[in-house]
Amino acid sequence: MDERAHSRAGGDRKLMASRSARRASAFVEKSIHSLLETADYAARAERRAESRGLLQRLDPRSKLVGILLLIFAVVFSRALWPIALVFAAAVALALGSGIRLRAVAVSIWIPALLFTGAIALPSVFVVEHGGRSAAFLVSRSLTCATLSALLVFSTPWPALLKALRALRVPAIAVAMLGMTYRYLFSILDIARDMMESRRSRTVGALSGAEQRRIAAASAGVLLSRSVQLSREVHLAMLSRGYRGEAFTLEERRMRPRDWTSLALFAGFAALVTGFGR
Amino acid sequence: MHIPDGYLSPSTCAAMYGVSTPFWYGALQRMKRTLHTQTTPLLAVFSALSFIVMMFNLPLPGGTTGHAVGVSIAAIVLGPAGAILSISMALVIQALLFGDGGITAIGANCFNMAIAGALVAYAAYRLIAGRAALTSRRRVIAAGVAGYLAINVSALLAAIEFGIQPMLFHDAAGAPLYAPYPLHIAIPAMMIGHLTIAGVAEMVLTAGVLAYLQKADPGLLEGTAPGAAPSGAESIDPGWRRTRPLWITLGVLLALTPVGIVAAGSAWGEWSPADFSNAASRRQIARASGSVAPPVAAPSGLRRLADFWTSPMPRYSAPFLRSPAFGYLLSAMAGTGVIILSCVLFSWMSGRTRARAATGS
Amino acid sequence: MSATAAVFELQQVRYRYQELTALDGIDLRIEQGSRNVLLGANGSGKSTLLRILDALYFPSSGSVRFHGRELTPKLFESDENAFDFRRRVGLVFQSPDVQLFNPTVFDEIAFGPLQLRWEREQILSRVNTVLDRFEIAHLRDRPPHRLSGGEKKRVAIASVLVLDPEVLLLDEPTAALDPRSESQIINLLASLGDGRRTVVIATHDLNLAVDIGDRCVLLERGRVAAEGDPREIVRDTELLGRVNLIHEHLHRHASGLVHSHPHRHPHEH
Ligand SMILES: Nc1ncnc2c1ncn2[C@@H]1O[C@H](COP(=O)(O)OP(=O)(O)OP(=O)(O)O)[C@@H](O)[C@H]1O
Ligand SMILES: [Mg+2]
Repeated sequence: MDERAHSRAGGDRKLMASRSARRASAFVEKSIHSLLETADYAARAERRAESRGLLQRLDPRSKLVGILLLIFAVVFSRALWPIALVFAAAVALALGSGIRLRAVAVSIWIPALLFTGAIALPSVFVVEHGGRSAAFLVSRSLTCATLSALLVFSTPWPALLKALRALRVPAIAVAMLGMTYRYLFSILDIARDMMESRRSRTVGALSGAEQRRIAAASAGVLLSRSVQLSREVHLAMLSRGYRGEAFTLEERRMRPRDWTSLALFAGFAALVTGFGR
Repeated sequence: MHIPDGYLSPSTCAAMYGVSTPFWYGALQRMKRTLHTQTTPLLAVFSALSFIVMMFNLPLPGGTTGHAVGVSIAAIVLGPAGAILSISMALVIQALLFGDGGITAIGANCFNMAIAGALVAYAAYRLIAGRAALTSRRRVIAAGVAGYLAINVSALLAAIEFGIQPMLFHDAAGAPLYAPYPLHIAIPAMMIGHLTIAGVAEMVLTAGVLAYLQKADPGLLEGTAPGAAPSGAESIDPGWRRTRPLWITLGVLLALTPVGIVAAGSAWGEWSPADFSNAASRRQIARASGSVAPPVAAPSGLRRLADFWTSPMPRYSAPFLRSPAFGYLLSAMAGTGVIILSCVLFSWMSGRTRARAATGS
Repeated sequence: MSATAAVFELQQVRYRYQELTALDGIDLRIEQGSRNVLLGANGSGKSTLLRILDALYFPSSGSVRFHGRELTPKLFESDENAFDFRRRVGLVFQSPDVQLFNPTVFDEIAFGPLQLRWEREQILSRVNTVLDRFEIAHLRDRPPHRLSGGEKKRVAIASVLVLDPEVLLLDEPTAALDPRSESQIINLLASLGDGRRTVVIATHDLNLAVDIGDRCVLLERGRVAAEGDPREIVRDTELLGRVNLIHEHLHRHASGLVHSHPHRHPHEH
């Protein structure tokens, strides 16, 4: 990003020119930005999940089920303070797992506050008991977002998807989700290459209609290539004995400490639900 | 339109999972019957594709941009069953791994966007396209209308889910526990952005991709075009010009909606989230904010906010604001607040006139 | 009848994609334990032929026999026949994006055994052996998008060899690799030929043909243009020029003289 910032027009006089250039390729620029941001987010989450910490050491299944129970407790609560209690616990867990609060703040808290805050704020003025209601909305969504961030930041994504088997999600759905995750990055790369080569070929201003045509054609190229890719992948699967049935290797048995942690999660969630009635 | 956790009551969430499950099951059985071993790779790759396409910033008429869901083009290429499953999977990955949309709201989000969206898009496309040739212009229009309708039906469903929360769930004192706005605020607040921006984004994407596929890969359109007349009689005129009827259709749709007036009158914001990454605008923002360099990446909340309500954001930030983050926060909030408050005002005024009419008679 | 048994026998195999004829009457015999190199320019039909050998495509006309038994779609309707063939014949696809479709390296290598319904313990021990043998144990939980080109190739080959197939088909195993990874893969492939396993490699890399092959089949637009000892075929510059595997460069010498002569590239580009 920054290299581009420097290579672009430097002085005030050039600002106007670069502004129209920006308009010209706005679609491409913005899309590249979104794609980079996604790749970046994924890379950061993957790195964090590999570090050692309290949550990282737990079995993904007990972590998934435990955190889901906490999310349910938060959603069920009819009082504010039990939600705050879970939030405090989530912060403690993050600290114990070496997940830096700054990272959580930047990627979860600020966005969640901005997002839900903007939606909740007007209710203070237009809804009866709006202040309390806004507090519910904000605290609930903030706490739930923090909990799911704990899950994602402490568990490799493939392991997390596989843990869905513990929730009785059918094997074929888990296999498809795993494959979706895998091809996300291939298609992201194809899209980025396409956009970047488009950027290097674009000179001068493009009309809105022209930009729309480029956007739709990009999506169309991507679609054709994805269908082609899926046909090839199908052959590769057949070649290795695929007959339409999905199998996952059964995970190792839950260790005592996984059961203990699950029990702790469940106990805490039950407590919170009790308080929040 | 991705509903986060905490906006819907547990019973609503459970109900939405319950409603969605038979659709998922039926769609999977149908895919397995028709595609056999190809089901898994096709759906998986397609849902990865829709995830990526959801990130495209589509340039829309009027200079604004929007994000599409991609459910309509999925329904046209894969049929409704394939679209339901692939979009649902993309939504699950978004909720679970990227924090876009709540985990408890997966059922609701999938129902609104994937299931209802796919069925509406498919029905509209088949109805309007009829037996037109694969390469006919009528299919482009059908695709555009299908996209526009699908997204607006999805948004309407989400708005209804929001709107019923305060009726059903409040604490002892009467404060709403979940989404606080009643139907008469939630529906217009959701619909303004979707009728004017998100729906158009989906329309642009669906019609545009269909027009592209007609030229580049018409085989992909055959699946949902049984009995299509053989092409060749009609020549494909190049370019975007042939989608003009589409814009007329949209114009009529908008004109029929009272919110069209609101939309036409508002100036679309300059500071869309992606401007953070742009050199010139970064410098501009930095200068305006006392040379405090703004963050390189847009706070993703801002992006999500823009997508959720697709609210028009103010063109400038007040010069006395020194912290850029605070400026963004305020302008984002103001944009949403303006929509909600104007809805309140609107319903309040129409209520007054109705009341006056009642007393006057 | 020759002394060694034929693994594959192809008779007048034709294959067409819609209007385009990719294979146009191929007669071929692949013998047990042989190391065959399919040489040919882009689009000559190498990948298509490998897919015919792997029973992913079936000939539009002509026949393919595997150990004397004709490969037909009907044969593959039964799980038993399909599993038997898939266990005995493995294909490594050209593109790692296609070959590696699982979320992690471990899943990738376990995929074949899982599909063939092996026992859990057997799968675990076999996968771990293969991870060690190919020196990829440290990549075990990595997703494929975080592997280098050479690592991807090694995982791809491991994911097929985990079933210990008697026939190994490889589609351009050294394409798009840097020289070091390329020589690693070549060493790996050379170590596979223990006289027991039959290997068929599709490539347009002449060096690879000489290094690994003991027999060479030259394809030209869907037909067999020549067949024989790789060393001899690689020496036939006229033939190689005709099938576009080498090309003539124009040179300008210091004297200002311009002339051309056949030019061979040591590495693929
Ligand atoms: N799926 C397909 N649909 C239509 N035509 C195809 C398809 N796959 C290959 N072809 C065509 O068949 C011919 C042979 O292709 P093939 O992939 O077998 O060649 P190849 O020798 O492997 O080439 P390369 O060195 O580029 O990999 C080419 O003309 C190609 O364009
Ligand atoms: Mg090939």
